[in-house]
Amino acid sequence: MITKDISQSVVKKDHVDKVAGQLPYISDVKMEDMLYGVLYRSPIAYGKVLSIEYPILPEGYHVIGAEHIPGGNFVKILIPDQPIFANEWVNYIGEPIFMLVGKELEVLYQLLDEAQVKFEEHEATYTLDDAIEKMTDVMATHEFGESLQTIEEIGKKAYQIIEEEYETGYQEHVYLEPQGMLGIYQEDEIQVQGSMQCLYYIKNALISALACDDDEVRVIQSPTGGGFGGKEDFPSMMACHVAIAAQVVKKPVMLLFDRSEDLVVTTKRHPSKIKYKTALDRDGNILSMSTEVFLDGGANTGLSPVVLQRALLNSAGVYKIPHYHAKGYVLKTNTVPNGAFRGFGAPQSFAGLESHMGHIARIAGKDPLEYKRQYLVKQGEPTITNGRFRDPIFMEDMIEDLLKTLNYKKKKEEFARFNQQSPRFKKGIGTSLFLHGCGFTGSGERDHIKATVKLLKTKDDQVLVKISNSDMGQGIFTTLSKIVAQELGVPYEEISFPYPDTKDVPDSGPTVASRTTMIVGKLLERAARRLKEKWQSGVEQEIVEDYVHEEMIPWDEKTFSGDAYPAYSWGVNIVEVEVDSFTGNVQLEKIHASFDIGKAIDERIVKGQIDGGMAQGLAYGFMEKMTSKQGRIQQRSITDYGPPTAMDIVHIESKLYDNPYAGGPYGAKGVGELTLIGGAPAVQSAIEDALAVPFYQIPITPEIIIESLEKREGEAVD
Amino acid sequence: MVTKTVASYHFDTLAETISKLNEEDCTIIAGGTDVMVLHKSRRGVAPKIAKPVVFIDHLRELKQTYLEDGDLHIGACCTYGEMLEHSLIPNIFKKAIREVAAPAIRNRGTLGGNICNASPAGDMLPLLYIFNAKLVLRSVNEDRIVEIHDFIQGPRRIARQQNELLVEIILPEVVNEARLIFEKIANRRADAISKVSFAGLLQVQAGKVADARFAFGAVGPTMVRSQETEKKLLSQVYPLKVEVLDEVVADFASIINPIDDQRSTAAYRKTVALKLLRYFLTSKELF
Ligand SMILES: Cc1cc2nc3c(=O)[nH]c(=O)nc-3n(C[C@H](O)[C@H](O)[C@H](O)COP(=O)(O)OP(=O)(O)OC[C@H]3O[C@@H](n4cnc5c(N)ncnc54)[C@H](O)[C@@H]3O)c2cc1C
Repeated sequence: MITKDISQSVVKKDHVDKVAGQLPYISDVKMEDMLYGVLYRSPIAYGKVLSIEYPILPEGYHVIGAEHIPGGNFVKILIPDQPIFANEWVNYIGEPIFMLVGKELEVLYQLLDEAQVKFEEHEATYTLDDAIEKMTDVMATHEFGESLQTIEEIGKKAYQIIEEEYETGYQEHVYLEPQGMLGIYQEDEIQVQGSMQCLYYIKNALISALACDDDEVRVIQSPTGGGFGGKEDFPSMMACHVAIAAQVVKKPVMLLFDRSEDLVVTTKRHPSKIKYKTALDRDGNILSMSTEVFLDGGANTGLSPVVLQRALLNSAGVYKIPHYHAKGYVLKTNTVPNGAFRGFGAPQSFAGLESHMGHIARIAGKDPLEYKRQYLVKQGEPTITNGRFRDPIFMEDMIEDLLKTLNYKKKKEEFARFNQQSPRFKKGIGTSLFLHGCGFTGSGERDHIKATVKLLKTKDDQVLVKISNSDMGQGIFTTLSKIVAQELGVPYEEISFPYPDTKDVPDSGPTVASRTTMIVGKLLERAARRLKEKWQSGVEQEIVEDYVHEEMIPWDEKTFSGDAYPAYSWGVNIVEVEVDSFTGNVQLEKIHASFDIGKAIDERIVKGQIDGGMAQGLAYGFMEKMTSKQGRIQQRSITDYGPPTAMDIVHIESKLYDNPYAGGPYGAKGVGELTLIGGAPAVQSAIEDALAVPFYQIPITPEIIIESLEKREGEAVD
Repeated sequence: MVTKTVASYHFDTLAETISKLNEEDCTIIAGGTDVMVLHKSRRGVAPKIAKPVVFIDHLRELKQTYLEDGDLHIGACCTYGEMLEHSLIPNIFKKAIREVAAPAIRNRGTLGGNICNASPAGDMLPLLYIFNAKLVLRSVNEDRIVEIHDFIQGPRRIARQQNELLVEIILPEVVNEARLIFEKIANRRADAISKVSFAGLLQVQAGKVADARFAFGAVGPTMVRSQETEKKLLSQVYPLKVEVLDEVVADFASIINPIDDQRSTAAYRKTVALKLLRYFLTSKELF
């Protein structure tokens, strides 16, 4: 099929296999001689390993431990503080100490029970609050913006200063397919297959762990049932486990998690605490604002420093705030490591800031949306790091249009009347305004990623896409094929895009940061254009295209100044809820959303990102609840964690605004993360509107709502 | 695989099933939606069930629903799905059933299984308690009829003899104009386990309370019901006087003692339970 406009939807390339249930995921793979691995995990949160007594092993069963690692005993990410096998110190409950490998899982589980590890337990830091009190284990910190001295002076003359603290909880990815990785031994190479987002992250971790050459390891993505960032950093560790094991036992070794293991040991969204200090004049106008962000990094650094960067860069939201200062920290706790998750620090910041702006609006006696609109940034204005919003910004139009469609004013009046008459159920409406910086922060694409893509044309004129990005359900098999096909003027079905294999594909970067369509898609667009120019029928041809950095205001990571992102995607969410004031249950009633993502490469695929991202973002605000007690994750099942079902989400009415960005293919910008970010703040604002009570945390669970309402009732009586 | 075989029985008739139960201590499986979860092993290992298994959900004798002398008899192996379709099942039960699990589980899970699993969060239990359900237990001996509140003794503890099978649930006739309510409070709208549940029955005749029954789920080891407190309401004028209402709520406040767990808090459960009670006794919206 060749569509006139690239936005027109087509059938996803992997649609039939998925719908028929025929796509083999990693857990469906069986190989001759294949062994299973199970991990012995630390039962304590922090301590020194005194001795490890392995169980007596039956024939055909093996122990794989730190002594088998040819290279360094760490998972290569940013900082070498994450052991592959924690044989000296353990830093969280669930940390792998060694692995048992053999044919029967039942035997392996029994052997796990027979192993004995002795520890010298040390006093652990269990919560972010404890870590903030101590401030001893700072994994990363940044500070930028207006000088604190100036802010202090402004404060002295201010009419009032509003100080607030805001907290966000864990979020778990709940990808449909739990983590799984297979290591395969071959004479001249170790192959790793599995569910993943970042083939070259894994490859680099393997080269480091196995201390081998580039061509001695090979990473192949298997069909991946969802990632959401959960398969960005975490799979590198599992890949090291199975690769080392496969090399030792010279057989395929499979490591698969069931849901409860996956829930308690894999990375999550960083819990955070954010402090705001805002000076207001007599009319409620903002004179200055300073923000302090604390992220709970968990037991090792992982990607947390980068998550902190994005949290800080988004900390002023879509607003032009005079005299803005930001500071942030990642603190270590002895809990399961936190890592990449769709939005990457931004959801915490937007939830906090939108909440704070809503609260000061009420203090100023204004409607939150009207108040926030006064501060919207405009094209050409500086970012908080003295970069520039260079491209057109349509936020005003998007808001205005939504308000009209909704009949916002009338609706608010209707709700006020309803709430007066209804003792139990209360209706509310809330908005969120947000953006997302597309691609890696600063000069990351140029300095760290250096993406390369390849198009191969065979003798039979078959065109193959050779990149290292994963289709994990988000649809890049289809969208990227469409881009190439459109350039070549052939139907997209004719473009082949096999599951990537590092032996075969260049490093086009990880599948993260809302970068794939915009950055990799652009490179493919260029490659396809060149291929068309040079096209010679019946001849094998190869086109390689490297990332070219677009000159902006240069980014300086030390001072946090310059253009943090080449482009921004924008969004407005308006959510209507009905809150049961007797039980605290929140029912979503209507969901409206408008987005500027440049240009949709496929409208239905974008709609998938909108519906899924918003469900995930809304649920982050009031449903999904994960807690850790003495270092142990409490929710071990999906039921207890409570992600939304089809019964909890209502139809999402969404609209796209075309605003083509020259740096993206056909004008496309990032979409994947953007759609999640506005959910939680919009739902919070709607709940506050319904109950006329402020909240200072997400998720706003029924328990929190009832506690707040009881408190208010108590105060009313006093 | 090192599989150990589990002896399992699948008889054509109820009589054969009952006589097997008399010979051997077995694990009874109806829909299996509790049994299989309870005996689940880690990934890749078959569930471990120590005793021989008896399947009963195919037995036609256990799937009959009929009226007799005004009482409703429901076969123990009627699934939620079947009850939803059946014209004799009271609407308030259907409301509760629609809030159980999701369609797949509702096609397997049975009423008898919900009772015998005796979970404090079992969603059929609050209504069964206020309907004064009677359970028919069959063995090679004579049938035994037990009140539901005597049968359920604690979480997963029931007064069933090894040789007995629950065959029928009897719902004694309930006066037509009684006001009924069932509320399930959970973290989401499907596939969720109750944090609090409440069933209420109120019958008002000539401006006075003629019957009042309440049961709370998930706030204690078994359903919380107090016939003593219910009696206090009899013959009271309706709408209730504030003192009467406060006394009833205070009574329950003293006997509802929930716990904190990974799903909710004790304070929440108690506050909400009492709010639901007060709402049921006063709300004009409901009737
Ligand atoms: C995903 C999921 C969601 C769920 N959601 C809910 C929910 O929302 N609300 C809720 O209340 N429950 C829920 N459950 C629990 C379960 O589905 C119900 O309790 C169901 O009614 C059990 O019926 P069953 O026939 O499957 O019982 P089984 O698992 O077959 O049996 C349960 C117990 O009762 C015994 N037993 C069964 N029948 C008899 C009999 N006739 N005589 C004697 N003993 C018997 C069994 O030996 C066993 O001990 C859920 C379960 C799952 C897996």
